[in-house]
Amino acid sequence: MTPTSKSTADVIFRHAETVMGTVVSFDIRPRGLPYERTRAALAAACDVLHRADDVFSLYRPASPLSRLRRGELTLADCPPEVSDVLGLCEQARELSDGWFDPWALAGGVDPTGLVKGWAAQDAAQVLQEAGVGAGMVNAAGDIVVFGQPSPTRFWRLGVRSAEDPDRLLCIVEGSRAVATSGNYERGEHVRDVRTGAAASAALSATVCGPDLAFADAFATGLLAAGEAGFEAVTHAGYEALIMLPGGGGVSTPEFPIFKGALK
Amino acid sequence: MKRSPIVLAGTAVGLAGVLAYNTASSPAVVGASTGTAPVQSVSASASSTTPTAAKARTTTTTASTSTSKSTASSAAATASRTRSATGQDVSFQYGDLEVKVTKTGSRITEVSVVQANANDPHSQSIDQFALPELRQEAISAQSAKIDGVSGASYTSAAYEQSLQSALDKLA
Repeated sequence: MTPTSKSTADVIFRHAETVMGTVVSFDIRPRGLPYERTRAALAAACDVLHRADDVFSLYRPASPLSRLRRGELTLADCPPEVSDVLGLCEQARELSDGWFDPWALAGGVDPTGLVKGWAAQDAAQVLQEAGVGAGMVNAAGDIVVFGQPSPTRFWRLGVRSAEDPDRLLCIVEGSRAVATSGNYERGEHVRDVRTGAAASAALSATVCGPDLAFADAFATGLLAAGEAGFEAVTHAGYEALIMLPGGGGVSTPEFPIFKGALK
Repeated sequence: MKRSPIVLAGTAVGLAGVLAYNTASSPAVVGASTGTAPVQSVSASASSTTPTAAKARTTTTTASTSTSKSTASSAAATASRTRSATGQDVSFQYGDLEVKVTKTGSRITEVSVVQANANDPHSQSIDQFALPELRQEAISAQSAKIDGVSGASYTSAAYEQSLQSALDKLA
């Protein structure tokens, strides 16, 4: 963690934590919180991410979730957050009209589409409760923010083009959580729960709303649902934008695209 | 870790109220086709403490008001697509956005967003005046800072090439 500005009013800490097979980026504005307490808050937030990795990783055969899937543990044997996350998965399945369904595919429950967002949301909450003034946690493209980066504006988050890593589809502003799913980074890892085939209704799906766990789940579901999933998402209080395989994009009516001056 | 479900339940229940508040209080964004920029979010920020309260209300309803070059292909898609009641073609007001990473020596000092090409009305009006320097100046004046980049999950190996990685290295 390195302070990038000397002025107390606008000190910015940036940190990149390697965890969950990826990198989680932090942008922290202490706003008067002393340096040592800011450091401690960041360490606690990173602990949240590592703990989530330990419990939910499907790349670790000994993780509680892996053992639950193999039937070696019951839900009652698992750490309490497994029940918490599976409860959220049930809610997300219901709210998404079944487009997000961790129980649909063979091999046991797979909450991967929600866990990373949930963990980042929890990490941001740890920072906020520790007294950090404003911050952003970006879990490899799924982002949660709190506070404002400056008194005059909100966090501005670019949405990456599915076709070009150096281009943005748009800038989103004024949303607490922004999650994007796509099969363009890690291959076809998201599957249509009805067919088992790779989800292909959208090249990418971006969901904005109050909570990153649900935004993450809905974005995953929309890759298979496409525009057909918009109604459920908006009904749950979220906004979505999908990039279509034929080019162009479609969004829900209130998707918060930044339309201010680019400066 | 155990806090989340409680918070989430509260969020779900409280949401209808938040949306109603937005609808009542947010200034509508009109005329996305003009190329001028309604700065609704900044003006809303003065009285608002939660970012969600400043959610932009987009009133664009058809592709015809879009200034985006990306609608060249989406217009074709629109014709053949069955529209749902809730979806609408996205008006990417600035069209194609390119991220510019500025380095001083080996240090990244700025990550900003510029319009990637000059096919939209805004840039065309700049072209009319255009000495090359003047145009360059105008484009750099349009650059916007971004704080983060949302996208499909990258691996830790791919992170190094990501725009977020450039932001993380910002001096």
